[in-house]
Amino acid sequence: MKIRVQNYAPEGFIALDNSALIYPPTEAVYNANTFRVSLDLSFTIKKEILEQAVHDMLERCSYAKVSLHAGFFWYFLSPNPKQPIVHPEGSYPSGRFSFKENNGYLFKVLYSEHRIALECFHALTDGSGAIAYLKLLVERYCHHADIADFQFPGGLIFKARPSIQEFSDPFQHLYDKTLPSYPKISKAYHRKGNGSIDDRVKVISASISTKQIKARAKARGITIGEYLSSTYLYALQQLQQQEVPVRRRRKPIRLSVPMNLRKIFGYETMRNFTLFAVIGIEPALGYYTFDEIAKEVHMQMAMSQDRKRLLSQIRRNVGGERTPLIRFAPNMLKNPLFKLLSDYLGDDQYSGVISNLGQLELPPALEGVIRRADFHLSPGLLNRVALAVIGYLDTIVVNFTSFLNTDTELERLFCTFMVEDGIEVTLSTNRETDR
Amino acid sequence: MAYCIRCGVKLEEGSKACPLCKTPVHLPEGMEEQKQQPLFAQNLPSKGMGGVNKTRKGVIELIVSLLVISELTVFLSMWLSGNGSQSFIPLFSIAMASLSLILAFSVKPAYTVQASIQCLLVAVYLFGLDAADLKISWSLIASPAVGVGWLYFVYPFSRRAAQKPKTAAGVCLAGSLAYLALINLVLEHSLTWFIPVTLPVIATLLVLLGLFGLWFSKRKNKRVPLADVVLATLVVLFGTITSLDFFLSGYQLGVFTLRWSRGLLGASFVILVFLVSVSVSRRVRRYFTSHNRHT
Repeated sequence: MKIRVQNYAPEGFIALDNSALIYPPTEAVYNANTFRVSLDLSFTIKKEILEQAVHDMLERCSYAKVSLHAGFFWYFLSPNPKQPIVHPEGSYPSGRFSFKENNGYLFKVLYSEHRIALECFHALTDGSGAIAYLKLLVERYCHHADIADFQFPGGLIFKARPSIQEFSDPFQHLYDKTLPSYPKISKAYHRKGNGSIDDRVKVISASISTKQIKARAKARGITIGEYLSSTYLYALQQLQQQEVPVRRRRKPIRLSVPMNLRKIFGYETMRNFTLFAVIGIEPALGYYTFDEIAKEVHMQMAMSQDRKRLLSQIRRNVGGERTPLIRFAPNMLKNPLFKLLSDYLGDDQYSGVISNLGQLELPPALEGVIRRADFHLSPGLLNRVALAVIGYLDTIVVNFTSFLNTDTELERLFCTFMVEDGIEVTLSTNRETDR
Repeated sequence: MAYCIRCGVKLEEGSKACPLCKTPVHLPEGMEEQKQQPLFAQNLPSKGMGGVNKTRKGVIELIVSLLVISELTVFLSMWLSGNGSQSFIPLFSIAMASLSLILAFSVKPAYTVQASIQCLLVAVYLFGLDAADLKISWSLIASPAVGVGWLYFVYPFSRRAAQKPKTAAGVCLAGSLAYLALINLVLEHSLTWFIPVTLPVIATLLVLLGLFGLWFSKRKNKRVPLADVVLATLVVLFGTITSLDFFLSGYQLGVFTLRWSRGLLGASFVILVFLVSVSVSRRVRRYFTSHNRHT
């Protein structure tokens, strides 16, 4: 296996990691490529203290103190000498990023009365990386505010020197050109939804008891993540049935499920290190009951996490980046082509995204103070509803983010299925129906 | 906390309706809940930020990239082959074609907006082609012609024209007159035939149109058969052409006479007599019908 030595210190020119390459050129309205993680705490957040915490975070993670630039061949990162800005929270999460208003930073720290939120442009890091930044931020905030001194289990240690792995691109390490490339899959079903859309991100947030959902998932022999993916597929199947009455015309329904590769490959990088498991059903073959879907999802998830398949996927992605035609084509040609082909290579293949950050492990000092944790994804134009899941204490929060102004049918089918399955779902929203 | 009676989901305190099915929450009097802290610090704005989406942006960027590459290629090839001085027209043509495509993809996809922009670009392009030799001549007639085309084929479909059709008709007529005056000025450097020929011919046209309009508007129930409209149009057309012959001979020969339009005048007279006789016969028939007597 060929190993490429990576730049450790962020100076001068820093190449984007393999999966980050697609995000800057495809950034546009309805394609923000951002996500948000946040923690609600019982005490009032003070801006000055948060600024100190951000300063600490950047001191520890100097590789996040970067800005994005367009080079002749590729976009690249370079150290950002400007001060980061702490923003008051707005009306919706994961909107388009204005780098200029953010002093060029690829992350945005936001605060409201009780909330600390970190919004990231995907070129910097993935969900797991952002959670690590957020943990450090909260930790430093609590330290400066004299609330408590603690450390998140598995989080970054403020006083420790950053390891060389933290800003490495493991995809380049794992690339093996002798492997066969992962095959491309056909187009999936996409739900357009009814009514108008605009680029405001409408959120419906469902809070679920971990115990209840765990019991329902366990009864079927699947994990919580698989249960939620199955519910999503089940809801999409119902919608497709209404939209496409002729069975043989029904396209496959697939979900893109980001997988954190850190545990699988043992890397502790703070850059993007995620691949997508594409799991789904073939409604043209017939109607799937929920239990059948759950079985399919369980099998497909297990197969997707197979090391060999993942390496083949990495071979395809990194191989694409290293193709001489792509490598040496100027950015001004690559950018529009990426924009036009990104749907064909990505979003076209799946009908929805469900990203699960898992259970947020909290230090005992924070258990009594935490009110809520959230994770929001930016939806897309092709898949207009995105699902993001995070767990804290004994609650799981499922956030539906959508561009659709009035259509909440997918969310309704998802939640009502869980209610019918005996799970209590509590909803809150930023939609106008509730204001 | 309330539950949605339709979906069965629990709603956060103070919710007025279920976010999934919009079923309103009705709580007994005295049990109304206070709204909890909202999901986000601010309310959702009334509208989005807007902007160009990914595909459109991609197409625009691709056009710009191809523009730069083709401009460089054309310029260098012409310059290196010793024809650099003649490179303006191909370079300008490529730039205008690119601009046209970019605007077609970036502005609102509505007929009036798109057609207006493309008309403007064609007019500018014609000026540019003419100005290649640093002199403007034929484009002074060609470019405004695009404007007149816009007046007749785009402007009537605009919202403003639809709201005020009479004003729109006036604007079209004024635009046409101005264009004819411009042609006269460009070709003769003064208003030679515009005043003695064009204005009287237009006046004839307006008078004929006015007379027929008045006649038809007095019709019972304002119902005009299609045949009447066609025949009236023929009379107006033939009459106007006859007046053109009349005033043109006056301008060219100094004697007002009809040189080639006597047949048209005769035809229009016959049609007019036919129209009048049909109208009279209708009135007579109506007069003697029982329906008429009763009313």
